[in-house]
Parts: sequence; structure tokens; C-alpha cells
Amino acid sequence: MLTYAPDDTLAHRLDPRSKLAVQIGFAATALAHTGPRALVALTAVAGAILVAARVSPLEALYAYRYALVFLAIAPVLAALTLGSPWIDLEDGIVSARASYRVLLILFVSAAYVRSTPVRASRAAIQRTIPGKPGQLLGIGVALVFRFLPVLRADLRTIRDAMAARLGDERGAVDRAGTIGVLGLTRAFERADRLALAMQARCFAWNPTLPALAFSRVDYPVLALAAFLALSALL
Amino acid sequence: MATHGDSVDLVDGTVVRQFARAAVLAALLGALGPISIPLPFSLAPVTLQVLFVFLAGLVLGPVWGTASMLLYLAAGAVGAPVFAGWEAGLGPLFGQTGGFLWSYPIAAALIGAIVHRGTDLRDPAAVPLPVVVLALAAATVLIYAMGTAYAAWLLELEAWEAIVGFALPFVPGELLKMAAAIAIVNGGRLEPIQA
Amino acid sequence: MIEFRSVSHAFDDVTVLEDVSLSIDDGEFVVLAGANGSGKTTLLRHCNGLLEPDSGEVLVDDTPVSADLVAARSAVGMVFQHPRDQFVAATIGADVAFGPENLGLERSEIDRRVEASLEAVNMAGREDEHIDALSGGEQSRVAIAGALAMEPTHLVLDEPFTGLDDPARRSVLARLESLAAEGTGVLLATHDLRDVFDLADRVIAMRDGRVVVDEPPDRAREALAGLEVRVPSRRADRP
Repeated sequence: MLTYAPDDTLAHRLDPRSKLAVQIGFAATALAHTGPRALVALTAVAGAILVAARVSPLEALYAYRYALVFLAIAPVLAALTLGSPWIDLEDGIVSARASYRVLLILFVSAAYVRSTPVRASRAAIQRTIPGKPGQLLGIGVALVFRFLPVLRADLRTIRDAMAARLGDERGAVDRAGTIGVLGLTRAFERADRLALAMQARCFAWNPTLPALAFSRVDYPVLALAAFLALSALL
Repeated sequence: MATHGDSVDLVDGTVVRQFARAAVLAALLGALGPISIPLPFSLAPVTLQVLFVFLAGLVLGPVWGTASMLLYLAAGAVGAPVFAGWEAGLGPLFGQTGGFLWSYPIAAALIGAIVHRGTDLRDPAAVPLPVVVLALAAATVLIYAMGTAYAAWLLELEAWEAIVGFALPFVPGELLKMAAAIAIVNGGRLEPIQA
Repeated sequence: MIEFRSVSHAFDDVTVLEDVSLSIDDGEFVVLAGANGSGKTTLLRHCNGLLEPDSGEVLVDDTPVSADLVAARSAVGMVFQHPRDQFVAATIGADVAFGPENLGLERSEIDRRVEASLEAVNMAGREDEHIDALSGGEQSRVAIAGALAMEPTHLVLDEPFTGLDDPARRSVLARLESLAAEGTGVLLATHDLRDVFDLADRVIAMRDGRVVVDEPPDRAREALAGLEVRVPSRRADRP
């Protein structure tokens, strides 16, 4: 599992907004191009971005191994043809190129994940999206990070308890229903307690926002983001 | 201390409760993400996630159900390992499962709108069964239409290839999740927060 | 000062608080005793306006709570049961900063308060640690720090020792004791008085929504019998 790790790389020093902009620019142009020359250029950019965050390509591949399976199957599915000649290599190659650019998009997002702590992402959200939606989205994202391990433990407990009570022999609907209702009931009990605690600490629409400022290194990166986005139109 | 009172704009108690539930449900969806079983003949995983997308619309309604799904996507985009296979980042939102992920907020909104018919929440157990079934069926069609169409476009697949890979294998699973959602709602153990 | 004047509260026709009057001074360490369901939690939630009385009035520093919720919530820091569900961020520093951020304070002042609050609960310098990796006692102390960062005059705690083992309980208690010594009023609700009895300046006990005891500990002992609360044996009786 790829997560944030403290480090002193170029990517770690960038403003999270610059990094988000680059990702969006990169995705835009990658979604627009599947030609061989474009793929070579995109590979070079993605490689540079990984280096800037000190993420090895193998590590990134491993983080997205699950997606990798699907990206590998797609060209096969595309190549298969009903009836003679059964395999259409041309179709398969087109799909393989399309799959490859998805992999590059995933690589670029790995660099963000490794180099950006939650508080920086929250700051980027709250400083980019104005008003109440930005405040809720920023705090809400922080809450998801906070409650993820808590709810994972809840689900583990529920499944262990079901297995202990011969839950494996029960019907699938029953099982899904039990996980659903127990999972959600517990989660909502936690949410109700959380809501009280947030109110007690004056949860407000207009808090002091986390500090965030572009520095000199951000400007060339923003220019890169703009260039990537514009190249989608080429 | 009184000086704060003039400028601090407190979030209303009902909103805090709805928001907390939306955020925790988003985390629950993320906690389920890794519990996914890749099917040998399919490109998309079977997870219980869609069940909770249903429940978001049914229990939280069109506004907070949608908000919950958006929080899920946003948290995943900035690095919470909440997508299938513990994945995180903006990439998966553009990747082969992107269409499925983006359909979640719309599906929750659709279910919420059909079942609650507005922003005042009703107890879904009191809504006629055919309406609930219709809402869930419509949401399922939407999720698979968006998921399959995007994957087909992204990976240069033909429509039938994408349908065989991304939709058909899941019909039994989806029927199961709809049945589970209806059973949960009719169990009456999850009451929505009335404004 | 927190003051209740003839406060009553009912949930769906069930009376939970009936004609409660009491006052708690700054710097006082008060234990609120009573069995489960006696109305302790409901009473506490009136201190900062999470609940409003059906009749009567609650005042914090002579201002009705309902007239200035922000002032009441700043003056009365509250820590609930299940600290695990009270955190808004994955890391300690980000969570403790939540209250002061909501008050709209300058970033430098927020940082100062986070530092001071963590120091007050013996967690100094641990801002970047993950809350999920902490022990139960440490989580309790971070929850207390989150309340302290509002710089309250009173700290209100609901069954803070639930689920804590002995060393953790002692570590929390030691912090509360020193906070009270430094002038923060403490109002602590519990059904188990054994650890807190000797620290208390006053014991208030409830039964069926009414205040039935409001005395210094040495005089409250007799009256507490029969209230389904655990009271320590007399000092002289102990080995």
C-alpha cells in the first residue's frame, strides 16, 4: 500500500495545488493521446515525476498491481474476435496502448500520494474551493482518513463474529445484509458521537485555514501543468 | 470570550450530524474497498461497495448521500487507500474503474431523489417497495452504464467487449446487493435524521 | 462559573432532568456521581448548549448558554465517552488544532495552544504521531488536550475512565489533578468514585434526574449508599 512518507524531495517541497494541477494536466493529455510518440513523451514526464518524489517504478507498479491485472486483460479482450481469424492483433495493440497511458496516469498519482500529507491536501481543498463546500470537503477528507482504520477494525470484528457463529453457512443475501446493517449501525453510532464532539469544539463555517503558500519552485511546475493541459488539444 | 461570538459562524447541529454520518459512511465505503474478489472472467471486482452506495442514497438522502460519495472520491484522490485493492490517488478516478467511481455520487443522488422525493428525509421503510426497487434498479443501470461506457472508451474496447468484461458477470451479485439493501431498509434499524 | 437554575429536560415525555439547581466555581474539582441512566450525561450536555433545557436556565460566567454558544463552548471544554470517536484528524497535532481553528485564531496562537495543551497532558512534541497508533489512555489524554486548546475555564468529562486499564486511568487522573491545581475547574461524571473520591472538592450525586447529594466528600459518604455507585472504603479501613 502506497502512502505518504516524510522526505525531503522536490515533490515534498511543492505546494499541493501545484501537484494537483500537474496531475490533472497530465491526465488530460494522456486521455487525449495514444500515439507512439505521445506515449514516449508521456513516459519521460511520468518517469521524471516519479524521480522527483523518489518513488521507484517497481514500487508504483506494486501499488497498482490490482489495476495492472485489468489493464493487462483489456488488450486480450480487445484482440479476441468472434469467428475467424479469432485474434485481431491490430485491435489488441490499440487497446494495449490505451492501457499503457492509464498506467502512466497511475504512476503520476503515486508521486502525489507519496509526497503529500493529509493536512496539505486538506489545505489545498479549503483554499481552492470557496465557502461552505470547501470547508466541509476539507474537514470531511480529514475525517475519512481518521475513521478508515477504526471502521476497518469494526468490519474485521463483524466478520470474525459471523464466522464464529457459522456465518459461512448462511445465504449470501443474509451475509451481505448482516455486514451492511451491523457495519452501518456501528458507523452511525460513531458518527453521532463525533458530531457531538465537533459541536463541543465549535465546528464553524469560517475557521482559520491551514497555511499554504506557493514558493519559487512552484511556478515552473504550474507552467508545466498548463503546458500539459494545453497539449491535450494538439 | 464574548469577542469570538460575533465572528464564529457555528455549523448547525443537524448539519453537523448529517455531515458526520456522510463522512463516516465514506470511510466505511473505503474500509470495504480492499474486500474485493476479482472474478476470473471480468475486469471489475465484486465488492460490497455498491451496497453502501445504495444505503447512502436510502438512509442519507439525495443531499448527504451524494456528499458522502464525493467525500469518498476526494479522500481517495488525495491519498486515502480507499479504492479497490487499497489503491489511492487521482489516477484511479481516470483509470479503468473511473466510470464506476464517478457514478457513485450520481447513483446516490438518484436513489435519494426517487425514494425521498426532496430534501426532507422520509423513513425508507415506509416507502412502497416498488419505488425502492425501481430506485435501486435505476441506480444499478446507471452505475454499470457509466462504468462500462467509460472503460470501453478509455481502453479502446467495443461495446460488447466492455459489456462482457464489465457488466454481465455482475448481474447475480447486483441482485444480491439489491435484496440485501431492501432487507436492511425494511428491518427499520436505520433511521434517517429528520431536519 | 457554571450555574443551573431549576433545569428540567425530557426526551419524548420521559423526564431525564427534574428541577436541577447547582453551581460550580472556577477551579473546583467536582465529581458527578450516579448510576447509569440517572441523568448525568444529560446534565453535562446542558453545560455547553448541546442540549437546551425545557424549563429553567443554564449560565456560564453569568451569561445564559443559549445567548452565546461560542462563549459557553469555549469556556466549558467537554470530553465524552469513547475518545476514539471524537477525533477529527488522523494525527495528534491536526486534531488538537481543530478547536482553536474554529475560533478563528491566528496561526501562531493556534500553534502555541496546541503545544501548551499537549504539554498539559504529558504528550509534548508528539504532534505528528497517528492517533490510531496510541493506547487508550493516550487517546483520552489527546481528547483532553483537544478540549484544553479552547483554553476553557472548566473541563467537563463524561465517564473518562471507561475501558482504561489501571496505569492509563492513573495517567489521566494525574493530569486532571494538576489541571485542577492550576485553576481549571473539573466536572467529572462517573459511576465509579473509587479513584476520584479523595481528589474531589465536592460530590454531586443524581438519582432519577434529581440532585440528591451535593456535599464535600467526607460528608457525602453516607448519603451515597444505595445509589448504585462505587465508593472507596474509608481511609482508616484500608490496609
